[in-house]
Amino acid sequence: MGVGLRGGIYRPLREEEVRRIDEGVMWVLGNVGVQVNSEQARELLLAAGAKEKGNNVILFPEKLVRWAIHKAPSKVVLYGREDRHNLTLEDARVYFGTGGTVLYALDLETGERRPTTLVDIAQVGRLVDALENVHFYLLPLYPNELPKEQVDVNRFYAGLTSTTKHIMGGIYTMEGLREVIELAELVAGGAEALRERPIVSFITCTVAPLRLDALYTDFLIEIAKRGLPVAIPSEVLAGATGPMTIAGSTVVQLAETLAGLVVAQLVNPGTPVILGTVSTVMDPRRAGYLSGAIEMGLMQAGVAQMAQYYRLPLYATAGMSDSKLPDAQAGYEKALTALLVGMAGANFIHDAAGPLEFCTTVAYEQYVIDDEILGMVLRAIRGVEVTDDTLALAVIAQVGPGGHFLTHPHTLKYMRTELFSPKVSDRELRERWEAQGGLDARERAKGIARRLLKEHRPRGLPLEVDEEIRRRFPKIALPKGV
Amino acid sequence: MLEKLKQAVLEGDSERAAQLTKEALEKGLEPERILNDALVAAMEVVGEEYERGDRYVPEMLISAEAMKAAMEVLRPELVAAGVKPRGKVVIGTVEGDLHDIGKNLVAMMLEGAGFEVVDLGTEVTAERFVQAAREHRADIVGMSALLTTTMTHMPEVIEALKREGLRDGIKVMVGGAPVTQEYAERIGADGYAPDAASAVELAKRLLGES
Repeated sequence: MGVGLRGGIYRPLREEEVRRIDEGVMWVLGNVGVQVNSEQARELLLAAGAKEKGNNVILFPEKLVRWAIHKAPSKVVLYGREDRHNLTLEDARVYFGTGGTVLYALDLETGERRPTTLVDIAQVGRLVDALENVHFYLLPLYPNELPKEQVDVNRFYAGLTSTTKHIMGGIYTMEGLREVIELAELVAGGAEALRERPIVSFITCTVAPLRLDALYTDFLIEIAKRGLPVAIPSEVLAGATGPMTIAGSTVVQLAETLAGLVVAQLVNPGTPVILGTVSTVMDPRRAGYLSGAIEMGLMQAGVAQMAQYYRLPLYATAGMSDSKLPDAQAGYEKALTALLVGMAGANFIHDAAGPLEFCTTVAYEQYVIDDEILGMVLRAIRGVEVTDDTLALAVIAQVGPGGHFLTHPHTLKYMRTELFSPKVSDRELRERWEAQGGLDARERAKGIARRLLKEHRPRGLPLEVDEEIRRRFPKIALPKGV
Repeated sequence: MLEKLKQAVLEGDSERAAQLTKEALEKGLEPERILNDALVAAMEVVGEEYERGDRYVPEMLISAEAMKAAMEVLRPELVAAGVKPRGKVVIGTVEGDLHDIGKNLVAMMLEGAGFEVVDLGTEVTAERFVQAAREHRADIVGMSALLTTTMTHMPEVIEALKREGLRDGIKVMVGGAPVTQEYAERIGADGYAPDAASAVELAKRLLGES
């Protein structure tokens, strides 16, 4: 229930407001410009008719931006190692998944906050493989024990071996990027096969306000050359690296991600680019980043509407919390933003499972709780089905006044599909709840996480492929069988 | 044969359950064996699945209905063979209370478990409870109330049973949203169950079965 549903039922912007934001974006790109710190990218842009204002600031003509929007595919399919996990990113289709990248995890047994390791990436991957409302595995953790030059290939390997869902991730070095692509080619069966069915994809961030960083943009160019899918998220902090207003910061983030889109289309027209936003609002009390603010949901929903206007897929952000542990605050912050952005029809909603504390920490049990929240959100997005059969007039007539519907075949037919079945929520009577230990949601979720980690065995890589990978990359550090 | 009958009950297919029971009797199978090895065995599985959360109440009820359909065929043979029924329950919602879905659930589940149920319907006065208990030689009187304003009629029924000298031979069970174990004890009922499945367990326990 609920994979690739169509959202778009919540639209915070009116049509005329969408047009005003678009005009604003084009004005900023054409008159304020974006600082492009990659020499390769600047050369491409200037050759395509863009102007340099000095200090690497490039002015993007509207025509060039519109050309790139037109050139980029409106539909990007991200593949899983199993076809049932493929994600068709287009119009208002909604998928939810993990995100990061965080440095700490709350230990499942001790509850203590500790640095994350490579083994955690594989463990969380196994958990995600088992959670039906988490549709993709965006590598959420940093392996603190590894030197930087070993991080990239190890992270993607740990992801690919632990789940058959699509793997997306950020990268840290150019060498690492090339190794990851080679790794993915070994799994997919060659470069062509990987382009046909990309089982991995990448993220190259912009730097707010209005900058394309040299290294990230060089990553972007390398990925575009290979024709692999890439998300280009902008991370505006409204009030700090963007205007305090949601509308103003929406303009800045769209200008940034579209600048990245133009570069990618110039490198390789038709490159599968996913517009991106990780943007949120600043906490004015301490000028800090917020991940659970309702305004973040509002902003992300508005950007989803803009992406639909441009007919481009969107990488969006929702379902996070600033709470330090899986508590009531985590529940309501996550539920509200996930619901808003999901109902708006953002395509690839990341960070929606796992993160806490300004996206610096994850908790194993939080993944289980978030799977439940997302199940409810997806049910809401699915909406109310009205057909002759669901109106059930004949059934109502048959039962009549004073009868009951409990055993009517119509009830039996619909009770498993019309209703979301919770796994974490407690719906027992008090006596029974007490008999089961009187546990709260967090403790129940821990129990589920422990059971899934013990019992769930995802489909691993074929043995010969795994051996080839380990031969090719002796730096693979994940112990066999984790 | 018995396996098929068990399956029919598990699937909640009343027609098939009655038909297969008839066939089993025609084949000369002992009524008691049909009861225990097929029907009771099926309802045990139903109970287990319900406890695990795999089976929902409507699925449990259609199995109970299938069991009841089979029992209607089987009961005369059981009586002839001298097998005693599980027990007779007189049930109803108390005076002033029209809410009967919970009571209906309990009645269906009790029938599914092999009890004989006399359903008095809704807004049953103390006099009618007493009258029915006497007439049907009930083992259990079950009362349901959904409102705090109507549950106060429950002790009236217990008092009436005492007045008529019936209380000693009859177990009284109560249930409904506002009713609690503590309330049941306070008014001198023999038992309280929070839902239909536990009501069956309670009824068995009250009659000293398990």
